[in-house]
Amino acid sequence: MRAADRTCRTAILVVALALLGARPVHAASGAAVEELALRIRSVLPVPLFGVPLAPQAVAQADPDGPTIDPGELDNPAALERDLRAALGRPRSATRLTVTDGIARLGRYSIGSEEVHRGHVVVLEGNADIHGRLEGNLVALDGDILVHPGAVITGDVLTIGGHVRNLGGTIEGATQEMDATPLSTEATAPLGTVVATRAAGLLGVMFTLIVVGFGLVTFGRPNLEIVSDTVTSSFGRSFLVGVLGQVLLLPTFGALVVGLVLTVAGALLVPFAVVVFALLAIVAALGGTIAVAHAMGETITRRRMAHGVMLSPNAYRYVLTGLSGLGSVWLAWVAFGWVPFAGGVAFGIATLASWVAVSAGFGAALLSRGGIREEFSGRMLPTAMMTDEYLWATPQFGVPAVKRPPKPDATDQR
Amino acid sequence: MRPLLACAALLVAGASLLPAQAMRSYTTSRPARAGDPALLRTTLDFGAGRVVLRAGATDQLYRMQLRYDAERFAPIHAYEPAVGALHLGLEQQGRGGIRVTSRAQLEQVARFEFAPHVPLELTANLGASEATLDLGDLSIAALMVRSGATRGIVDFSRPTRGECRGATFAVGATELSVMHLANAGCAELRVEGGVGRAILDFSGTWRRSPTLSVALAMGTLTLRVPRGTGVRIRGDKVLTSIAGEGLARAGDVWSTADFATATRTVDVELKTSVAGVELDWID
Repeated sequence: MRAADRTCRTAILVVALALLGARPVHAASGAAVEELALRIRSVLPVPLFGVPLAPQAVAQADPDGPTIDPGELDNPAALERDLRAALGRPRSATRLTVTDGIARLGRYSIGSEEVHRGHVVVLEGNADIHGRLEGNLVALDGDILVHPGAVITGDVLTIGGHVRNLGGTIEGATQEMDATPLSTEATAPLGTVVATRAAGLLGVMFTLIVVGFGLVTFGRPNLEIVSDTVTSSFGRSFLVGVLGQVLLLPTFGALVVGLVLTVAGALLVPFAVVVFALLAIVAALGGTIAVAHAMGETITRRRMAHGVMLSPNAYRYVLTGLSGLGSVWLAWVAFGWVPFAGGVAFGIATLASWVAVSAGFGAALLSRGGIREEFSGRMLPTAMMTDEYLWATPQFGVPAVKRPPKPDATDQR
Repeated sequence: MRPLLACAALLVAGASLLPAQAMRSYTTSRPARAGDPALLRTTLDFGAGRVVLRAGATDQLYRMQLRYDAERFAPIHAYEPAVGALHLGLEQQGRGGIRVTSRAQLEQVARFEFAPHVPLELTANLGASEATLDLGDLSIAALMVRSGATRGIVDFSRPTRGECRGATFAVGATELSVMHLANAGCAELRVEGGVGRAILDFSGTWRRSPTLSVALAMGTLTLRVPRGTGVRIRGDKVLTSIAGEGLARAGDVWSTADFATATRTVDVELKTSVAGVELDWID
């Protein structure tokens, strides 16, 4: 065990040194820590941070095309507007004329022995400066990294990025402006916003319906017990659900700590983590579908009581209940764009969904995943087991067999 | 029912036309260098929000941090080293309209810092901003503060560096407090105002006895002066009330008995219409 631990530490050290290269590390130096973070980020798999744009030069625009002058960085907001307007679709179609300078797409760097004279505009990529830049530097949606020994004689400006001075010299002004805060949704036409939200809601509902039908097909008894628990002990289920949410993380922590403290248990930590997460998800998801089942059953039976001819089955219950749960989001889909009212609709839908999920989660816990029937209302309480009940209701033998059948619904009417 | 529906539809349609809120942040700074201008003529424009100004690090000529409403304002950053001119702040954009959101969400914030050793000729146009300008330890060569419709505090919390030719405080319909004025060491002070209230506090390390020129329309001026300082108030006034312990009137001149002999004096020249001047002693 100790040998394995030592091997692991050695491996971590080797990886850290490889990341840092041959440079000495000063733990107290913020720049060194930042450099380390950047290097770690650079070696991590690309999908974690999105696919970077391939570095390429930006061709000059036509005489009437977009032109910017990075020599004047007095109005960064206007510059940002011009740069974003110049970005082409696809990006390789971007054309931009830079007065006394060049424009680049994707990552750009100046080597430690290089000297670049003129302004540089970097679009959607980081600018790594190791050498000397005699001019201004602008980065749109990228960071400017000024490495030790690098010199920038002019001003630097990032829009939607940061300037990270890792030990170089910036002789001019340093400017940082965060990215445009307007979301795509805010700038999109209203119809698109509503359609996007409706599609999202439909997608979620479709997924839940598929999962619900799967549960009905493969775990109907358990689903029905959880559903009955919700129906007959809703308040208790909700409280247990809320308590369960509160205790979820502490329980997880206690589980992991408990396993780590035991020699054999430490090996099981990864499995325990996965199993715990899966159980929590299944309990919440299954519980929510059970709530939908309960809602659907109630709605269906009420409609049947009103004379509507329906086929009472679990698939219908789940479908009806999920439609009911989804309908609370319809108001947000339709009017979510309205200031204040949209927020209220969102809040109400979120609250209603949370109540449903909490009750379902609690019912799943109470019924131990649909195994225990104690709170499902199916068992008669001991107090009801009176002599009269037992006498009047033959339980065994010939009297029980001879007991007349219950009249059906048609006769009752 | 129909009128109700029509009203609801109008409200919804109207609300949809409101501009979306868009707060942005912007930071700029410039390192101090050997070739920096001997005098930095600085103009700050900040129409609405909260402004903080103070002395910064010696290795930075200036630094500005902004959080602003991008729908209505755009940052200004212009520096001309040849003439030593610097313009920082926000300028208003064309778009306006009603904002349906809380004040805290749209609160604009500006923070300015200047190198203590670089002499400043500072003009601060604060509009309706809530300003706290701590000018202590800065090199203030001249100062002009224009305050519009909210409260502002100018504090010389520590003695300033260099010589201060003068400071002017223009007050709109607001309350402007200037604290520890003795630390500023300005030769001339001027208060111009409309219907606001100005408080001039002369505590601090006394470096120079200033002359104070006051031109108020309908405002109130409160002078807080360390006890033992000679005070004289004189000038052309219309319907002005002057009140203060130890002030004796001789014609159009109010003065303390020790004004002629005091080593520290405040000489006030009034040009007011309907205004009140109060003198409070600081023990």
